Formats: sequence, C-alpha cells, structure tokens
Amino acid sequence: MKDTPLSNCERQFLLKAVEEKKRVDGRQTYDYRNIKITFGTEYGCCIVDLGKTRILAQVSCELVPPKDSRPTEGILFFNLELSPMASPAFELGRQSELLVKLNRQLERCLRNSKCIDTESLCVISGEKVWQIRVDVHVLNHDGNLMDAASIAAIAALSHFRRPEVAIQGRDITVFTPEERDPIPLSIYHMPICVSFAFFQQGTYLLVDPCEREERVMDGLLVIAMNKHREICSIQSSGGIMLLKEQVLRCSKIASVKVSEITELINKALDNDKRARKEGGKFGFAESMPKERITALKKDEAPVEMTDVQDTANEIISRTEAQPDIVKVPSPVVPAPGTGQVGEGLLNTWGLEEEEDEEEEQHEKEEMSTGEVMVLSDSEEDDVVILNPDANKPKRLEGGSKKGVEAPKKQKTSH
Amino acid sequence: MAGVELLSDQGYRLDGRKASELRKVQARMGVFAQADGSAYIEQGNTKALAVVYGPHEVRGSRSRTMHDRAVINCQYSMATFSTAERKRRPHGDRKSSEMSLHLKQTFEAAVLTQLYPRSQIDIYVKILQSDGGNYSACVNAATLALVDAGIPMRDYVCACTAGFVEDTPLADLCHAEESGGGTTLALALLPRSRHIALVQMDARLHQDHLDMLMEAAAEACRGLSKVLDGVVRQHLQEVSVLTRD
Amino acid sequence: MEVELCPILRSFGSEQNVLSRPDGSASFVQGDTSVLAGVYGPAEVKVSKEIYDRATLEVVIQPKVGLPSVRERAREQCIRETCEAALLSTLHPRSSLTLILQVVHDDGSLLACYLNAACMALIDAGLPMSSLFCGITCAINTEGQIITDPSVQQEKESRALLTFAIDSVERKVMMSSTKGSFSVKELQQCIAVSQKASEEIFQFYRDSVKRRYSKIM
Repeated sequence: MKDTPLSNCERQFLLKAVEEKKRVDGRQTYDYRNIKITFGTEYGCCIVDLGKTRILAQVSCELVPPKDSRPTEGILFFNLELSPMASPAFELGRQSELLVKLNRQLERCLRNSKCIDTESLCVISGEKVWQIRVDVHVLNHDGNLMDAASIAAIAALSHFRRPEVAIQGRDITVFTPEERDPIPLSIYHMPICVSFAFFQQGTYLLVDPCEREERVMDGLLVIAMNKHREICSIQSSGGIMLLKEQVLRCSKIASVKVSEITELINKALDNDKRARKEGGKFGFAESMPKERITALKKDEAPVEMTDVQDTANEIISRTEAQPDIVKVPSPVVPAPGTGQVGEGLLNTWGLEEEEDEEEEQHEKEEMSTGEVMVLSDSEEDDVVILNPDANKPKRLEGGSKKGVEAPKKQKTSH
Repeated sequence: MAGVELLSDQGYRLDGRKASELRKVQARMGVFAQADGSAYIEQGNTKALAVVYGPHEVRGSRSRTMHDRAVINCQYSMATFSTAERKRRPHGDRKSSEMSLHLKQTFEAAVLTQLYPRSQIDIYVKILQSDGGNYSACVNAATLALVDAGIPMRDYVCACTAGFVEDTPLADLCHAEESGGGTTLALALLPRSRHIALVQMDARLHQDHLDMLMEAAAEACRGLSKVLDGVVRQHLQEVSVLTRD
Repeated sequence: MEVELCPILRSFGSEQNVLSRPDGSASFVQGDTSVLAGVYGPAEVKVSKEIYDRATLEVVIQPKVGLPSVRERAREQCIRETCEAALLSTLHPRSSLTLILQVVHDDGSLLACYLNAACMALIDAGLPMSSLFCGITCAINTEGQIITDPSVQQEKESRALLTFAIDSVERKVMMSSTKGSFSVKELQQCIAVSQKASEEIFQFYRDSVKRRYSKIM
C-alpha cells in the first residue's frame, strides 16, 4: 500500500507556517507533544504515546554464551520493527532506509552510551551471560519515531526485572518469580533522544516534528542526552547544512527537554511501583480511559448455563444414528507426550499395496488394449506390465523393494 | 583497552603525535582508467579507495528518477582483510548500510545535483585497511574522486574525527583511540562556508565540552582541506603536462 | 460424565479508534490479555494479489518478541477465514483489506481476543459485514469442568483447549480451533457454552457502539 502523497499546496502551507513561527497543532517551536507512559502487568512492557505516535517496547532476557571478544559482559540486543499498522507505507519484511536509521540510532543511543552495566549481567564468565533483548514495535506513526522509541526503550529497561540466579560451582539455578523476587537491571543513566527538524536550509528549526512537518523538512538532527547534561550521541541526517552555533543551541534546548522527560519517566515508574506494592490493579487493562465514549468496560460476568446440558444432549442424540462405523482401536496414552494405537498387531502395510494394485488394475484395464505398456525406462520406477490373460498385474523388478506377493487381507481382531 | 594512556603528561599520544596533529595524508587521483573518477587516500594507516560513475541514466528502478535533480547512490564496504579479525560480511549489514546512507546524505548536500536532472551519480567506496576514521577517509576519498570525475560541487567536503581526553581535544583518532571508550566525533565540513554536512558523535560527553570538541574537529578539517587542495592542483599539473603538445 | 458448570467470562473492555493512521482500529482487553487491531481498507491492491470480483483480505499477526513463526501463520489463517466469511467482500472488487493484530499482553484465550479485536476494528473501519463475530475459548480441565475464557495458568492445567468463532445472526460456529483430546459430548457442550457466552459479547458490542454514537443519535 502506498502512503497518500503530499500535495504542493499543503507543502507550501506548512513551510509558510514555519516561517511565521506557527505550527499546525498550535504548539510553540520548542514544545513537545503530550507524553503518556503506561506499563503492563508483566515487567518490562511499556507503551509510550507521544501525541498520536504510539510505540510498544518489550524487554526479555535469556541465558546465552557470551561473545568471544567480551567474555565477562552481557549482551544487549535491540530490534525495532515498523508494524504495518503504523502507516500504510510500512510493509512487512521490507528493509527500508528509515528502519536501518532508527535501529542504528537506537543502538548507538543505548548501547554505545553504556547506560546499562553489562558486567553485572555476567553469570559464569566465558560460559553464560544474560542477553537482554529489547523489541520495539511502532504502532502508530505520527512523526518523531526516534524520540518515542528511545523513551519507550529506556522506560521498559528501567521497569524490567530479571530472574535471580544462584551459582553453585558450574550449576546455575534460575529462580521463577514466585520463588524469589526478580531483580532490576542496573542502569547508570537514561539517555533520551531529542529531534530537531530544520527547514529552509537550516534557517528555521522545530522540536518534535509531527508527521506532516517531517514530510516537508530538509533534515533532522537527533541529540541524545541524559539529565546530567552529558551528550550521548549526535546524529545529523538529511543533508542539511548546519553551523556550529546551531548545533550548540540545539544541545542547550535538548538538555532542558531531557530533564523534563526524565522526570516524567521517573514519575510513571514510581506510580507503577506504588500500585504494585499496594496490591492495586495495574497493567494496560487498568489504564484504559473509562470516561471516553469510544471505550467501554464490562465486569466479570457468569455465563448462563441452565440449558446447556440439555442442548448438548439433544444435539448428540440427533446425530447418534450412525451407520456402522469401522471400529478403530482407541489411542492409548502410555506417558505424556507419547501415543500408541493398538498393541502387538501384525504389520498390515502390505495391505495398502494390494489395494493400490487393485485400483491400478481397474484403471489400466479401461485404458489398455492388451499390449504390454512400458511406462518408463527408468529403473527406479515400479513399472506395471499388463498381460491380457493374467488377472493380477505382475510387477517388474524395479528399484523399490516392495513385496512381490502381497499378503492376504486380514481382519483385525477388535 | 583500559589502562592505556591516550595522552601522556608531555602531551604526546600513542603514536607520538601532539593533541591537534593530523596523521600523514597521501592521496592519488585517477587510479582507475575505466571509471569516470577515482581516488585513493591514505590517512595514517587507514586506506580508502573511491570510485565515481556518472552522471548517467538512472539504472534499476525507474521510480527513483527525480525530475529536477540527480540521484546520488552510495555504497560503502570494507574489505574482508581490512580489520584485525577477518570481516565476514563486507556489506549489507546494518553498519555498512548506515554508513552508505550517511555518505549519500553528505554528498547530496555538497554536489550541485540540480545541474543533472533525471540522472544518477554512483559513488563506491571501499576501505582497504581500517585504522580509525573510516568515515572521514571515505568522505575525503569520495571528494577527490568527484573532483576527478569533473562533477561540480559547492566546495571540498572534508571530514575528520576528533576525540576528548582529560579536557584536551584530540584530532584525527586512530583505532586504538576510538575504541578506548572515549568520545568520538566525526564531522564533515565544507571549509569555505563553514557549513557542517554531517555530524555524528557517540559515547558520553558533557555538554560544555561540545564547543571545544567541534572547534577542534573543524580546525582539523580545514587543515585537511588544504592538503586535498594541494593534491588536486598537483594532479592537474601532471595531467596537463602529459596532455600538452 | 457429570459436568459441573460454573464458567465466567473475565472482565473485558474495548476502545475504538485508538490509532490515528489506520482506517479502523480497536483495542480489546479480556482480563489481562490485551490485543490491538488496525484495519486499512479498502485500498489499492498489488496487481499480483488482486481478485477481479472481491476484495483481497490480508491478516498480519505480530508477536511481541522475535519474528513471526508458524504458530502466527496458523492463527492468521483462522482469523482470515472467519473474516472472509463475515465480510461482504464482493462490494469492493480489486481492493485490499489489511488487518493487523498486535498482542500487547498474553494472559490466556489469545485467539478469542484476536477475533474480538478484529471484529471491533472492522466495525470501526465501517466495512460492510453480513454478520458480526466473536471468539470464545473454552478449556476442559482434568476433572472435566468447562472453563470459559481461561487464563494462562488455567490453559496449562487443562487437557483440552477449544476456540470457536460464533456469528451473531444465527449463533452458528464459523471457525473452530482445538487442542487436546475430548469426547464428542464435551465438544457439543463447549459449543453450547460458547453460544451462550457469545450473547454477552454481542451485547457488549451493541452497547459500545451505542455509547460511541450516543452524542450524535
């Protein structure tokens, strides 16, 4: 499916609005859209709404052997996917430029900045380490995927708890969440990306472009920072010409925004922690807004069961009259995962051969004129030669080892 | 790499350079006869080869044709023998794709693509030996190759890396300094107008040091542009001597 | 076999028009299981996939972690066949309808949740359908009790798991997907239970649509 192309008048309108320092949704040039962060019931699952852009992040962990070059460090793996739900232009399985760019930027922002202590993920040096996998799914594309993805990833990583392990010599015991409380990852700092869109060869810039603004922009500058005013990564894209002063100005704006967003994430994490501790309800089900008219929630309801038994019996009795069914021995389950039909029966595989032969005989008698037909020269095939006076077709010696004399049919003793 | 001193007390780096010294740059243009433009550059131990074909008709999907400008197609790859460990996937992996995208974006800004509507310019870059500053070597080699091919550009595109150790910015990092865990900033600059075509930085750096770091990288780029200019003029002299009657 | 019947449906809820880009979208929550569905269509279709007299329906299921496997493909097949039976696809020939389902959290009866979310998303997109459909999962535990809408724990302890898609007009079974062994009688009982339970869900569909357009009507 293709995305609707942008008309020239819409493009001119947006550019003119940017020149007059106005935005289509009424924001100021340096304003972010509303950010909403919700966590799920299981640890490490988080949905971030940046305006209308929606992104889901899920963190999972696994014990794997470490990389040869770094035997004492755990592995971080990031995977961002553009779901076809997010935009009609995203197709499944297509490696587009945008996907590569977002993936690389996410990796650089989170892995190269060393925000997670990978040494603490080591269980047995050189043999088993934790591999933390972050899957980010883009659910709705309304601009600025990079920022939302980085917020979702770092919030999910902060929310995640990995199972506790006990090491005794070479044995590793992994405890389930019920046995021992899982432990959180050790996160040094939270790098968050801030995107700046440039227009008219770098004269105007906007923070947090929405999808329409992204389509008309000249280029994008992404700065990842944490709240300690440390820059974790800078990346310019789109072929714009920047001046050094512009980059410095953007970094100053970014530091202000990042501290606001970090506070938001921490607040959301605290709320979730509190809800879990107090035993209140948490998760996505709870965070569904009830006051909207597009949402409706219904409580637990018992199902009316009064005539079920009767209806069932009635249906069965209607279909009970069956012609004699071939009795097949019922399967026996000697152990979970195995099945067995019958016990100590004779091998009746030859049976099928004879049936096939008889069918073939019927077919070929209709076709043949009594001559010998060699169907193929290949030695591998079983070639059937029909003799006009024999009832049973003889089989030529072929490559296969089927029995020449088919055993007679035997009645099963059940 | 922990424990290796990137900057000694006397101000000398691992390979004996001072903090703001660039590595030795040697370049040749016109190394391939059949390509429209080609160049080879050595920056210290990093060796890069760039080849330019074009402008020619858009090959492959016709839908990529732009009615008012040329399409720039870049491919970045590393030779399997370029790094200490043999590289199993020279191109097609994410890092190479990202580098190709960055190169494309850099040159789309620098080349006057409006002069060649409905055409395509191909730039292929290969790293023969990697010792830090891969991206910068590629950009410099590609600039020389474009000049060799006679494609009009706004200015030379010079790229250089810079790092930051103990409040001192280092210019033109080698591999040991890049992987030492410190900051790395790669900058592609158009020297005369001071416009930045691409800026890329990894690892943590405090915001206050950004200015110093960028200034060091820009200074290194300007130095590099003088060297490239010298190479181009020398090549032109040689060629004109040969073609003179 | 005497069957004691006390099944309940977990609390469920849904929100329509959740996403701005798809033509229709809905999120459906059953207990803790949560699914997000988005529909695009009728839209342009690739020439290789077009059908001359009806719309081409494509269903995509995205798992949360990792790449889609055969299990997702099998479920896509079940859902696609249910939707094709319900949709009036001959009204949009040479078009494509794409239904994308994303699991947000899986706590049992996932296939049923997919079906319910799909139906709500199709309603939200305004696609013409001959009937609505809903999904119910029944589990038969080791004692022979029938549990509707099981959670992951109940699913693990059950000996059979049956999912049915029931249509709204005549309460017929549109699709069934089962796992485990059970007798014919148990099957019929489960179908009857599902039909009863589907009434709740259809009433919920009606209520949510009525609520949504309450300001207009």
